[in-house]
Amino acid sequence: MMTDDFDRILDECIDRINRGAKVGDCLSDYPAYTEKLRPLLQAVHDVQKTCTFAPSADAKRAAKQKFYAALDKQGRMAPGLSLLRLIPRSVAWATIAVLVLAAVGILVAQPVVNPPTLVPSRDGNFAFLISDEPNDIGDFESLNVTISRVGLQAAGSLKRLEFTPETKTVDLTRLQGEQSQEIWRGNVTAGQYSQVFIYVSEVTGKLKSTGQIVDVKLPGSKLHLSMPFEVTTDAVTSFTFDITVVATGNNGKYILKPQAGGSGARQE
Amino acid sequence: MNMDNRKDIPTIKEYESRLADLYEEYYDKVARYVYVHIGDKEEAEDIAGEVFLKALKSLKSYREQGVPMQGWLFRIAHNLTVDYLRKIDKRRTVPIDSVILVGNDNPVDTAERSIDFERVTEAMKQLTTEQAQVINLRFFGGLTSKEVGGILGKSDGAVREMQRAAIEKLRGIMGAEK
Repeated sequence: MMTDDFDRILDECIDRINRGAKVGDCLSDYPAYTEKLRPLLQAVHDVQKTCTFAPSADAKRAAKQKFYAALDKQGRMAPGLSLLRLIPRSVAWATIAVLVLAAVGILVAQPVVNPPTLVPSRDGNFAFLISDEPNDIGDFESLNVTISRVGLQAAGSLKRLEFTPETKTVDLTRLQGEQSQEIWRGNVTAGQYSQVFIYVSEVTGKLKSTGQIVDVKLPGSKLHLSMPFEVTTDAVTSFTFDITVVATGNNGKYILKPQAGGSGARQE
Repeated sequence: MNMDNRKDIPTIKEYESRLADLYEEYYDKVARYVYVHIGDKEEAEDIAGEVFLKALKSLKSYREQGVPMQGWLFRIAHNLTVDYLRKIDKRRTVPIDSVILVGNDNPVDTAERSIDFERVTEAMKQLTTEQAQVINLRFFGGLTSKEVGGILGKSDGAVREMQRAAIEKLRGIMGAEK
């Protein structure tokens, strides 16, 4: 019976923590159980804190547009009516006219489609380069990174362009500091861009000290930089994406990450 | 709800309306639930979007028999997550890549967060399948024990017991690794 009581109290505290309460608030309400509750609630807090993640507003908005477009497509809700749910209820009715116009505008101007793949061209207005910000690159005799494709996210819209690098594999040990290597050049639609994605398919690192191939982890299927830049028709925009390798402690593991400080666009 | 009485069975339109109502509250929770399994922020966002699209397409087959719609969403999320994990390279099963690597993160902070995440996910792997499901749905999905019980086919008392045992186990594993 005592265990069941404790399970209920623990459960209630977790519900409260899920709603934003602090561990201390829960403990103060159950002084008789504080000693037993504290380590468990602290573990709950540690696990939740470590895995904290809030989806980006852009991703949420894009997903929501797809969802409501699908809802409308099914034809069971009045066309366009479901789009009213894209804004909070408290302001929905006050903005009906604006919302309908905006929603229609969004759906017409920003269709969700697979990103087009750009064709390389020596005379293009855009060049993409890779460089390496020295952190723990000195540990490596070679660090080959194979890039399968690169994505450019247009600012303020869902439009994304992609291209396949002409040079797919780069050795980061040769691209330290001011060194860089162009991996693609071609024509990119003029406009403002906000994010760059690199899809890495393979990483092979060889350590200087032992000559062994070491495990280098990747941050997901792609490296991502949020960095606004502009592409114009009358100049060549060169975007350098700086990648760095960092040791993850003394466990012999390494991780690749994008480095905003060494990345950016310039126009020639 | 009396499922035998057709008057009480919600129409597809009513289910659609309910799903749309759930979107705002549950998109983040579903994304978080997926993220903990796969360790990739953007893929988690994409899969969370897919969950609602799949739910919309499957509404005809949805019947509320002890599992509320939000629980059904997490079942779909679970299935899509399993599909995703089957597709990706098996070398990435340790999701050290979980950290949000946007621009100007401090490399040391990034590495430390990666290690913490790896520590938690490794500890989670030592739970039983049901314990891990309880923790994921309670901690990251934000479901109540009763809702989790509905998904797993357990009483809420059994869920509470599994929850306590899982937390004690996690604490023991993570404490020992520190």
